[in-house]
Amino acid sequence: MKYPYYPGCTLYSKAKNLDRCARKAAALLDVELEELPSWNCCGAIYNTNIDDLAAQVGPVRNLAKASQLGEKLVTLCAACYNVLKRAGGHLNATGFEEERKRILEFVDERYERDVRVMHYLEVLKEVGFEKIKQRVKKPLNGLKVASYYGCLMTRPKEVLQFDDPENPIMMDDLMATLGAEPVRFDFKAECCGGYLVVNRRDVAQACSMRIIENAKTWGAEAVVTTCPLCQYNLESAQSAKLPADKRMAILYFTQVLGLALGLGEDELGFEDNKLDPKPFLKEKGLL
Amino acid sequence: MNSTGNSDLVRRIEELSGQRLQDCYQCGCCSAGCPIGEMMEPPPSKGVRLLQLGLAEELLASDGIWLCASCLICGTRCPRNVDYARIAEACRAIVLRTKKSQVDPDKVSESDLQDVPQQAFIASFRKFSV
Repeated sequence: MKYPYYPGCTLYSKAKNLDRCARKAAALLDVELEELPSWNCCGAIYNTNIDDLAAQVGPVRNLAKASQLGEKLVTLCAACYNVLKRAGGHLNATGFEEERKRILEFVDERYERDVRVMHYLEVLKEVGFEKIKQRVKKPLNGLKVASYYGCLMTRPKEVLQFDDPENPIMMDDLMATLGAEPVRFDFKAECCGGYLVVNRRDVAQACSMRIIENAKTWGAEAVVTTCPLCQYNLESAQSAKLPADKRMAILYFTQVLGLALGLGEDELGFEDNKLDPKPFLKEKGLL
Repeated sequence: MNSTGNSDLVRRIEELSGQRLQDCYQCGCCSAGCPIGEMMEPPPSKGVRLLQLGLAEELLASDGIWLCASCLICGTRCPRNVDYARIAEACRAIVLRTKKSQVDPDKVSESDLQDVPQQAFIASFRKFSV
């Protein structure tokens, strides 16, 4: 299976490990991710004011590029997924016809068809968790993980239609497929504080620490993420607030997937995690 | 509506956000669910109440509208389908369009630039600066 793939800006810089593991794991599952040619930044956050049409141009241009290749566009970063899917949904909103025309006139690319924006997890679902299970080389037995989706994967529910907006389970199912034990976790779709870290780090840290504490309460040994900003906030809040021996490993779900599918330690990009998860994974007999 | 309040501003906020303020019956689900609700002043339900009373200027001058991370829990849990994240964004736009930035991209520290993911800067500048 071949899919057009949109990596986005952060996966090219601070979150290379999220991206590289995804590409390598996809190859092991016979999925070909073809990078969208000359993509641009999606805008990182969706703007909602009804007259803010300029903010729509960036994401819609990417959708137009994708529409020239086919009917689907695969994203991996939770923010890109959220923004591109909402921009695509908004284009077809009732009463938005005039604005749609203006936006598409402004975008210098042919818009050939509506594109279904998918998250990488949904691609894995299409591959089939049964098939993935058969490809597991290193079952993650005994690894208790909290699957953290954050706010961008599931809301707004009417547009994203990804999973339950308060209690998503797709990543939990994936973790179980890989042999890990997904724990109950109340804050799986709570906000980490997001971009408030730029000017209100105290607020972002408070949000992130609540998530960490809740994951610990339910016995998680590691938290699995889909978003570079969640990853950053959960790691850096712990660095600031907890002594080294109390910090929990935060892993991209693609690192966990790659680990289970047999990617080597040198391919998993753990050296780019702010909290080194290698000692913990060694202790669990997984490295 | 309070006759001393500014109804033009309230109407502008309704228009920009696409939300109907009179739909809110003040149950407080939004403020209870907001991960930042304890730190946010006013919290979402109180923000809506200010607008219902015509006190838009008070909300526009508040710190609360700058503490929303757009996580959409408030709107998801609202039994009346009012999305406070969009209301806060409309309020911020009214302030930002008077050229008053909350975040200055030129003042980001070098260490943060090296450390924080790009998406955070882009999102922050989009929501909090002009």
